[in-house]
Amino acid sequence: MSALYLYPIWMRLWHWLNAVIFIVLMVTGASMHFSGTPWLLSFNTAVPIHNASGILLTISWVVFIVGNLFTTNGRHYRVQFRGFFQRLFAQMGYYGYGIFRNAPHPFHVTEEMKLNTLQQISYIGVMYGLMPFLIISGWAFLYSVYLPETLFGIGILWLIAMAHLTLAYFLVMFLIVHMYIITTGETLTTNLRAMFTGWHRETDQH
Amino acid sequence: MALPAPAAEAASEQRACLRCHGMATLAYRDPATGDIVNLALNEKTFGHSVHGELACSHCHEDGYESYPHSPDVSAAELNCVQCHEDHPENTDRVDFTVIDQEYQASVHARSDDSEAAGFNCHSCHDPHAFRASLLGRDIPDIVAYDNQICLSCHEELRDAFSTSHAWLPNRDKHWASVRCLDCHTPSRDNGRPVSHEILSKEQSNANCVNCHSQAQGLLSRLYQYRSREDIEEKGFFAKAVFNQAYIVGMSRNPLIDRLALIIIGLTVLVLAAHGYGRYRAYQSLREQQATAANEGDKQ
Repeated sequence: MSALYLYPIWMRLWHWLNAVIFIVLMVTGASMHFSGTPWLLSFNTAVPIHNASGILLTISWVVFIVGNLFTTNGRHYRVQFRGFFQRLFAQMGYYGYGIFRNAPHPFHVTEEMKLNTLQQISYIGVMYGLMPFLIISGWAFLYSVYLPETLFGIGILWLIAMAHLTLAYFLVMFLIVHMYIITTGETLTTNLRAMFTGWHRETDQH
Repeated sequence: MALPAPAAEAASEQRACLRCHGMATLAYRDPATGDIVNLALNEKTFGHSVHGELACSHCHEDGYESYPHSPDVSAAELNCVQCHEDHPENTDRVDFTVIDQEYQASVHARSDDSEAAGFNCHSCHDPHAFRASLLGRDIPDIVAYDNQICLSCHEELRDAFSTSHAWLPNRDKHWASVRCLDCHTPSRDNGRPVSHEILSKEQSNANCVNCHSQAQGLLSRLYQYRSREDIEEKGFFAKAVFNQAYIVGMSRNPLIDRLALIIIGLTVLVLAAHGYGRYRAYQSLREQQATAANEGDKQ
């Protein structure tokens, strides 16, 4: 049995707070977008909760960025180009084929590298790509009066609304895939436990 | 029907009639029903109405020479459509033939509800008060005036505990700023001010996007207006939480919504299939291990 302490307390707290904020944003966002659907929140309740959660998500995102700048956690988001595609295809091959043949995991968590290549690029895409745009589009919604009326001849509000909506759908998709992928560790709950306890435990069979 | 009398003649005739009918208390009790029948006209309201310059006899022709007037004369039905068709020059904005067609298709004409029996133009339009346009007045005033016509019969909607329209977000705000007609008539853009084809509850427009969408221009104008108001009233920072400007439907886009829900649905299916594949793999691994263990036992 090997055990690695991968997730310090601040990171776990950040992760779960971020998760809660994100779920609240999803539910309230859907309540505003699909207002009138019976099992969602009422519009008037959803709006201030969504806005307040949006502010918290912004803070949370800044904490993530600053945390990665000033702690060793940042190295997990720096892509190692040597052997990148080999590792990427190995990971994709595992999820698409090997996993059904009980093949061994192509990637092993170490302190230097806790994310496999596929995980790494999707997290980078989400946290450094989609998330800032989602946050910016959210703030742009609130303070649209300070923006130009049109951009490339198209009403700015419509652009903001569509960007916010599309990004939100992408992130909902990420969350779904994320929740499934965490079950593909050595056992169904290996990865989930690690995010609760901080310790990544694996049997020493490899 | 008589041709309109010259203005001076009409005015003197009006004065003669209003000597009695201008008294606020002029009424009698109908011996048959026991109801009080109001015979009074508000002179000012009448003066401002579309018919305010017509001589009374223009519509109320014969039988008014004796006092009190014979009960039969008031029973004569006045036909708005016919008169207006005869004098299209007086109704330049609206074609009464179209109005009649629309009305015949409306829920008021088609309903078999006993309350809708005997419904006619006068049920909504008081010919002594009706104004074709309130242009220049504040929009809430126009909306209130217009909706008052509907609410004078549909009074149950005034009940504070009424659950009618409860599905509508910001129901009371909608009622204060949108005419009933805006949702309860077909949303055709035929350049006419309003349709007389009042729709039933089921047929009425309940799709937010019909008003709150990019194409309607309402989105940016209303949203930006309310945003500015928010910032002025609540301050720059409070606006971030208590944003009142958001309009339901402004972020809706049928294409993006449909595509996204299909893609998310397919993803969930693929993940479920993936999970099932893993479960099968796990089972076969267990079987292999069991077989191997059995063989190991035998050896």
